[in-house]
Formats: sequence, structure tokens, C-alpha cells
Amino acid sequence: MVGHLAWLKSRLLWNGLRTDPQRRVGFPVAVVALGAAAWYLADRYREAMSDLSPTAGRSFALWGALALFSVWVTLPVVIFPLDENLDPAQFALAPIDRWKLVTGLAVAALIAPSVVVLVLLLGTNVVVLGAAATVPAAMAASLLLGVQMVVGGQLFSTAVSAVLRSRRGRDLAVFIIMGIGLSGFAAQALVAATVGELGLEQAVLAYSLDGAAVLLPPVAAQNVAVAIAGGEPVEAAVSGLVALAWIVGMAWGWMRLLDWMLTTPTESPRPNRAARSRGMAGRAWGTRKVLARKELRFYLRDPRQRLVWTGAVIFVGLAAASILVGTGSLAVFRRQDWLPLVAPALVLFVGLPIALNQFGWERNAASYLFVLPVPPRSLLLGKNLATFAALMAETTFLAVALAALSGGWSTLWLVPPLAVCSAALQLAVGNVVSVVTPLRLPREGTDVFAQATEQGCLAIASQVVSFFAIGMLMVPPASVAVLTVAFGEVVSPWVAAAFAVAWGAVFYLASIWLAGLLLRRRLPEVVQWVQVS
Amino acid sequence: MGAPQSPGSDHNRIVVQFRRDTADETSVHLATPRGLHAEPDTPTSPAVWAKGLTRRFGRSVAVADLDLAIAPGEFYGLLGQNGAGKTTTIKMIVGLLRPTAGTAGIGPFDTWKEPLEVKRRIGVLPEEFNLYERLTGAELLDFTAAMHGLTRTEAAERRDELLALLDLEQDAAKLVADYSRGMRKKVALAAAIIHRPSVLFLDEPFEGVDAVSARLIRRLLRGYTEQGATIVFSSHEMHLVEKLCTRIGIMEHGRLTMEDTPDGLCRRMGAETVEDAFIAAVAGVDERDGPAWLGTSPG
Repeated sequence: MVGHLAWLKSRLLWNGLRTDPQRRVGFPVAVVALGAAAWYLADRYREAMSDLSPTAGRSFALWGALALFSVWVTLPVVIFPLDENLDPAQFALAPIDRWKLVTGLAVAALIAPSVVVLVLLLGTNVVVLGAAATVPAAMAASLLLGVQMVVGGQLFSTAVSAVLRSRRGRDLAVFIIMGIGLSGFAAQALVAATVGELGLEQAVLAYSLDGAAVLLPPVAAQNVAVAIAGGEPVEAAVSGLVALAWIVGMAWGWMRLLDWMLTTPTESPRPNRAARSRGMAGRAWGTRKVLARKELRFYLRDPRQRLVWTGAVIFVGLAAASILVGTGSLAVFRRQDWLPLVAPALVLFVGLPIALNQFGWERNAASYLFVLPVPPRSLLLGKNLATFAALMAETTFLAVALAALSGGWSTLWLVPPLAVCSAALQLAVGNVVSVVTPLRLPREGTDVFAQATEQGCLAIASQVVSFFAIGMLMVPPASVAVLTVAFGEVVSPWVAAAFAVAWGAVFYLASIWLAGLLLRRRLPEVVQWVQVS
Repeated sequence: MGAPQSPGSDHNRIVVQFRRDTADETSVHLATPRGLHAEPDTPTSPAVWAKGLTRRFGRSVAVADLDLAIAPGEFYGLLGQNGAGKTTTIKMIVGLLRPTAGTAGIGPFDTWKEPLEVKRRIGVLPEEFNLYERLTGAELLDFTAAMHGLTRTEAAERRDELLALLDLEQDAAKLVADYSRGMRKKVALAAAIIHRPSVLFLDEPFEGVDAVSARLIRRLLRGYTEQGATIVFSSHEMHLVEKLCTRIGIMEHGRLTMEDTPDGLCRRMGAETVEDAFIAAVAGVDERDGPAWLGTSPG
């Protein structure tokens, strides 16, 4: 049965590569990009291990396993999915033993470009630890760690999907993201500060993962080889058993969660009272305004879009982390009056998945939208209106939070023109990218985060380029703003504000003209690209 | 449905009229003064047309050199086996799929040269519901009405009347995601007709719809064509095709192989029903038995 699921996954992947141009281009790009990133990390790991003393090296190996496991498990939820999962709902009626089902799903999850990361990092782990301990012990440790990463990743994304199924859960997701953001940045700041102060050797020795920490799943797995290297075979055996118990426990939790999800319907969002009583005809009317209102409702009602917009709380997590840690590079920013002016740039990180993919979120409803008699430019304007409104709300929220943090209330008034400029530039690039390389988002399965990396990789590549393009376009207005606030008003603040708005407007108007023209010509292609079969 | 509603003083309302015009069923007429009779744009041009319409997917040809002309007021049944090219044809006519060759249009307008003029005149009920599931039924209709340029008042009134007509009043505030298949079909139909299109494309409109609603929809559609609208109807339910269609086109392997009235088709194929005529036309006489193991008792 496990083999059947693996075969199914590989067949789906192969058929996708044969028939979908996005995948054909995206697959090699994804493998190369992920491979390069993994190679870099593996090289750094190998280098650090060779520079450390044996004792420090063993401690570092445990920390490395913990970091790798944490990032692997949470990254799909925070950034974008790294795995393509088979939707368990498709097997709900099949006569499959549940244990075989989760095993099959875990094995199938390995048939994806992201496996290159696992192979390279765990392979390096075998080589590095094999030299210190024995190769079989290093292989056992890496294998246990790899299985924990796969099962743990599945469990975590399934758990968050389960949370997102309920109405209240969708609000709770904000706190999950904030928690991940906060702990991630706090951990990064702490590690950077400690290593900066003590050096890597002393830091890993001073803060070695011993005692109860050895019971953590990745630490226990890695400790199989580390304990052998330290001449502690009994500890290695116990660690191996603990690691195995974690795998069984996580798989059992995942299985129970799947059982619950397959038999419990998703709670739909409840439209607010005004929407219930009046539909959409109660307020602003007209093609663009109604389209914008529809988009705004989807920002709230679609769990994925809601997650995108609530991503701003990660930056609140960052701010909170800087307060908690109180040292390092983050703390420097706390004393800057101009800190609120960073808000329009931070929002770039939040709104991009929507600004750069205006039609991908429509998925199959794109064919419904595109048979309506609305000029392509109006479609873009309506969608832009909603994105602009959301970006402004997010910027205001962040700017006020950052002003409160830094006491930089005096520069707050420059935020609106810079925010308008930032949003206009984001939409200017976003409109063209949305029409030229729309990103296909998969149908929501049992696991909200299940999708193929390579499926939208072509679009993701274009989005990365777009991000830098937007950053470059923001340099002139940002420079003028710096001249205003940091060099004794060399330029009048009014000039800076007017320049920012005019700069954004020029690019936006040029883009809306071009994107409207392109959409008119490419409308059937956009439908084909975003539709999920 | 209760007693027929009389035309009210408010001219924006959809007026539901019953007229006993057939032995078994009445027609429901949707009437508004503005564009009441979904007239063809020019008296001479066909309501729906295609010339040399071709679509290839790689090596396979989904639609091959298809010529089509449907007159205003026709209830045209587009029939064919699965994969015959019906949905591909409809997608190319409405502008969702670019033809490899040839062109298509509505009235005097070419879909690929004047897409907005075409879209103003059509309503589409696709086989797969690509609706906005996270809008309520009422919101979906408002949204569609706004996109078609209806005023707020017109939209609200038509929405309420269509929801009442299709028995969706109680569920208007529910998300479409929570609708049953039949309810989705009904709200999709309401969205397709809220702007009174002159041409309506219906792909399997009765699939999953309960008998009461199905009869109501049949009457509504029949009344609609009587007022000058054209309906292109694709269905595998032959008794409905026989009941509703004034002309039938049969597609095979992407080609339009036969066109006639239901009676003409039956005469031509020597069949008593449209179903028999269709099967004779596309498959001949099929006397294959099922697999032997299906004839044994299940274990």
C-alpha cells in the first residue's frame, strides 16, 4: 500500500511534468535553487564542525539538528509549502489501514524537489558525524532525524490546517504565526548575540543541549551518533529509542488528526450581519468598487489570504523580540526616530503574495470572472483598490506600532505618502507580473499547505525578481525621505512627500496601462494558468 | 410558486408571468422593460456563430473546423459523447479558450475582436461550478449584477426575485460553499440570467437539481426563448433535450456531424426518441455485454 501511494505520487509528478509548462520549467529551477541553498548550508555546517573541538562539535551537531528540524517543520506554514502532499481526503473511503496511510503519505511527501535538501543536509551529517562516531551510527541518526522531519512537518502543517478549519481557529492562526515569528526572531537574536560575545566554540560549550533537552525529537535522533562519538553506547541506544518513540508518537498524532479532519466538515466563515441582510448592494456600487469589496471579503474569508494579511504580525513578533532580547542589531533600531518610516517597506513582505498574483487566488473562479463584461483594466483597478486598502491598513498598524516602540512620533506624518508610493510601486510591478506569470494555487485539500514547489516555481522566480525590482524603484523616494529626516531637512518634507506620491503614481499609471493591454490579449492564457484541474 | 405576479408599476422588476402554452407545462417569463426581449443585434445575423473553429491540444484535435449558426430565439441542443468537444466549443465561443484557428461570435460581434460586446450579451452556466464559494448567494448575484452594469436598485430587486423564484430565499445569506449541488446550480443559473442576456449557454443545467426546481427552470428557459433569447444547451439527459430544444446539433470527435430538429433527427435515424436517434447517430447499435464477473453475486 505504501508503495502504491509512492507510485501514485511519482506518477502525478511525472504526468505534471509532461503536461504542464509551468512544472517543466519550474521543476529544474526548484531543484537547482533548493540544491544550491542546501549545498551552502551543508558546506557551512561541515566547515564549522571542522573548526570546532570534538566536544564542541558534538554540541554543535545537536544544535544543528534542532535548528534544521524546527525550520523544516515550520517553514511551509510561515513562508510557502516545500512539499507536495497527497490529499488524505482522496483515500478516506479506501480500505487502507491508517498506519499504512500515514506511512504512505510520508513516503509520498519525499517525492518532491525538496527532498534534495534532505539528501544533501543529512548526507553531510553522515559524512561529518561518521568521521567522529561510526558511519552506521551516523546513518542511523540521520535516518531517524530525516523521518522525524518528514513526519513532524506533516503533523505540524496538518495541525495548523485543523486549526484553520474552525471559525475561531482562523483568528487563532494569527497568534500561531506571531508565535513562530516571535520565537524565530528571538532565537536568532539570542544566538547571534551569544555567538558574537563568546565565539561559536565557547557558545556551544556553554549552552550544550544536555539533560532534558536530549529528549527533544531531533536532539534524541542526532544524539545516537553524538553519544557514540563520545563513547556512550548506552546513551546512544536510549536516544535511539526516544527518537523512535517520537516518530511513532508524531505519526499517531498525525493519524488521529487526519481521522478527525476526514470526518469533520470545515466551518465556513460567517458573513457579518450587514452582508447577511443586504448582500453587496447596500454600499458603494459600480464595477470596480464591488470587485474591490468582493476582494476584501475574500481577504477575510479565505483562510490562505487571511494568513497572508495576518503575516504582518511577524514584524510585531520581531519588535517584541527586540524588546525581550534587548541586545544585538535589532535593539539599535529601537532608538531611531525614523523607525516608523520602515513600515511601508515592511508591508512589502506581507502584501506581495497577493499583489503579485492578483488572478491566481481566483483559481477556477477566474473563468467566472472573465466571462463578465468588465474591461481588463477595470478588473485590475478593482483588485488594486482592495489590495491598496489592505496595504494602507497594514502600514498604519505597523507604523503606529513602530512609533510606539521607538518614540518616533514626529516622523509618523511622512508615512502616508511613503505608504502610497510603496503600495503604488508594489501594484505597478504586481499588475504586470500577475498577467505575465500568474501563480497557480492548488485546490484546498485536507492539508491547506499541500502544494507543489515546482508547480508555481516559475511564478515564484518572477516574484523574487519583482521583489528586488520594487526595492530598486523605492530607492529614490526613500533617499529623499532620508534627506528630510536624517540630515536636518536638506529637502523640505513637503517636497519629499509630493515626490514620493508622484513617483509612485507615474509607475502605477504606466503599469495599469500596460497590464490592461496585456490582460486583454492574454485573458484565456491567464485562465488556463490559474485553473486547478 | 404561487399565483402569477402581475406586471408592477416598478419597471425594473423582473415580472414572473405564467402562460399556459403547452399541454404539460407553463412558461415563466422574465420581463423587464429594459431589454425585455433580448433582441438579436441585427435581424440577419445569427445569434451564435462559429466559422472554421478549431482547437488542438498538442497532437489531439478537440474541435475541428466547426461551422455553426444558431438563429435568434432558438433553443439549440449541443449533443455529443464525453470528449466530443462540446465544452471546448462553448469555451471558445464565450472567450475563455483561444481557438487554434477560426473564430466565433455573438450576433454581429466577434468574440476575439470585441470581447466586451460579446460578454455583455451572454450568460453562462458552466458544467463545473466555478463560482465564488466564499460569497453568499445574495452577494454573488449582487456582484454579477454590478459587473454587468445594473443599478443598485435593479440588482437588489432582481436578486430578491430570482432568489424567491428559485426557492433560495432562505439560503440567501449562506455562503455558496455551504450550498448543495442543486442549490449551486440554481444560484449559478440566477447569476447567468440576472442581466437578461440575449444568449444563454447552459452546460448540464439540470444535473443535481430536484424535480420541482427542474420543472420551474424548464418553464423559465422556455419562456425566455419565447421572448427572443437564444439558448445553447448541452446535456446528456435526452428526454430534456427532446422536450426543450427546437434544434439539435450532434458533435463527434470535434466535428458537427448532424443538425436537425428533434423530429427531423428521429425521422432521419428511424428512431422513436431523440435518445435512440442520438445513440444510433454516434454509436450505432451497441450490443456489448458487461464483464462476466459482474454477473456473479458480489462477495
